[in-house]
Amino acid sequence: MTSLVSARNVSKSYGAVRAVDDVSFDIEKGCITGLIGPNGAGKTTLLKAVLGLTDCQGSLSVLGLDPFRQRKELMQNICFIADVAVLPRWIRVHQLLDFVEAVHINFSRERAEELLARTKIPAKAKVQELSKGMVTQLHLSIITAIDAKLLILDEPTLGLDIIFRKDFYSNLLGDYFDEERTIVITTHQVEEIENLLTDVMFINDGRLVLDASMDALPDQYVELLASSENADRARKLNPIFERDVFGKKVLTFEGISRDELTGLGEVRTPDIADLFVAKVKGATA
Amino acid sequence: MDPKWNEDLPIYRQLRDRVVAMILEGVLGDGDALPSVRNVAAEYRLNPLTVLKGYQELVDEGLVEKKRGRGMFVTDGAQKQLLKDERQRFIDKEWPLVAATIERLGLEADQLLQEIKNKKSSKPGGKDD
Repeated sequence: MTSLVSARNVSKSYGAVRAVDDVSFDIEKGCITGLIGPNGAGKTTLLKAVLGLTDCQGSLSVLGLDPFRQRKELMQNICFIADVAVLPRWIRVHQLLDFVEAVHINFSRERAEELLARTKIPAKAKVQELSKGMVTQLHLSIITAIDAKLLILDEPTLGLDIIFRKDFYSNLLGDYFDEERTIVITTHQVEEIENLLTDVMFINDGRLVLDASMDALPDQYVELLASSENADRARKLNPIFERDVFGKKVLTFEGISRDELTGLGEVRTPDIADLFVAKVKGATA
Repeated sequence: MDPKWNEDLPIYRQLRDRVVAMILEGVLGDGDALPSVRNVAAEYRLNPLTVLKGYQELVDEGLVEKKRGRGMFVTDGAQKQLLKDERQRFIDKEWPLVAATIERLGLEADQLLQEIKNKKSSKPGGKDD
C-alpha cells in the first residue's frame, strides 16, 4: 500500500533556525492523524511543506505528487483550514461560493448551500459581519463541499467557544469524513480530539518524538500511580518521566510490560496530554 | 449531553456495554436498527473505527447482525439471550452473597417475599426503578 503522505528526512531552516529537523513519517488513507506540538515546534512549517507552500530538503510526496513543484495539481485534492482567518473580510457569502465554484473543480455548490442552510449564516452577509464561530462554520461548509482526499486542519477551533468546537468536530465526522478521506489536524486542545484520532505524532524542536497508532499506545506506554516507597522500586525500571499528583508519584514508562509493574501501584494508559508532557519534558530532563 | 468515558476500559468496550444495556432495558428491541456508525461517531466525536469495533463485538456475540448496505440490527431473541445470561450470572455470582447475608441475619423466606409483595401493592402498576 502506498502512503497518502510520505516524508523522508524532511528539513526546513529559516536562517540558523531549523524549524523542521530530519523528519520522516507516513500517513495512510482513511486515517485521522493528530500532529501535536508546543508553540514554535515546527507544526505549521511541516504542514506548509505538505501543502507545497514552502520548499524543503529531503523527499516529500503527497498523493504521489511533489507538493512544491506540483502544487496546482495537488490543490485539486487537498483542503486546508489555517489557524488564521484567511477569508477576505469584504467578501459576501454568496460571492465566496461563486469564487470557489470558479476555481475548484471538485466543489459542489449545492452541498455547500445545503450545509450553510443548517447554520444561521445569511447568504448576503459579509465575512466581517460574521462572528468568529460563524466564519469557521462557513469555512468548514466550503471545505466539506469539496471532494478532497486530504484535509489539513491547523488549529481549526482556536478562539471558538465550547459549543462551536464540539459542533465543528461533530460536523467533521458526520458530514465530511469517510474511509476514502484522510485528515491531519493540529490543536492545543488535545483532549478534545483524542478519541477521534487513529494516529498521533508529537513534534518538538522540529523533531518527531512520537509517531504511533492510537491502538498501539497502550502496549508502548504505561503510567504507574505509586506511593513514594514503591516509586523508589519503580524508578529502577527507567521511567521516562515522573510527576507528583496528590502526594503520589506518577511514573511514565516506555516499552515495558505491564507485568513488571505488578504490585507497585495502579497501572493505566496515559492520556495524550500527559504522554505529550512526558515525551517532551522527559527528553529535555 | 456528553457521555463520561471511564478510563479503565477501552471506549469500544464501553460502547458495546451501552448497547447491551439498551437491549436489556428494551430501548432497543428485536429487529431495531442501531444508530449508524457515522451518527455515533459524530455525536460523541469518536473515531468511526472505534464505533465499528464496538459494534463488531456485538456481532461476534450474536446480539447484532449486519445487513449489507443497511446497517446493524438487533438480532431476534437478543434480549432473551441477554436476560438468560444475566439471570445465570445473578444466580452464580450475586445470589450466593445475598443468600449468605440472609442466612447470617436469620431472615425467613416467607418474610422476605411478604416484604416484596407489600412494596408492589403500595405502588400501583408495580413499576419503579
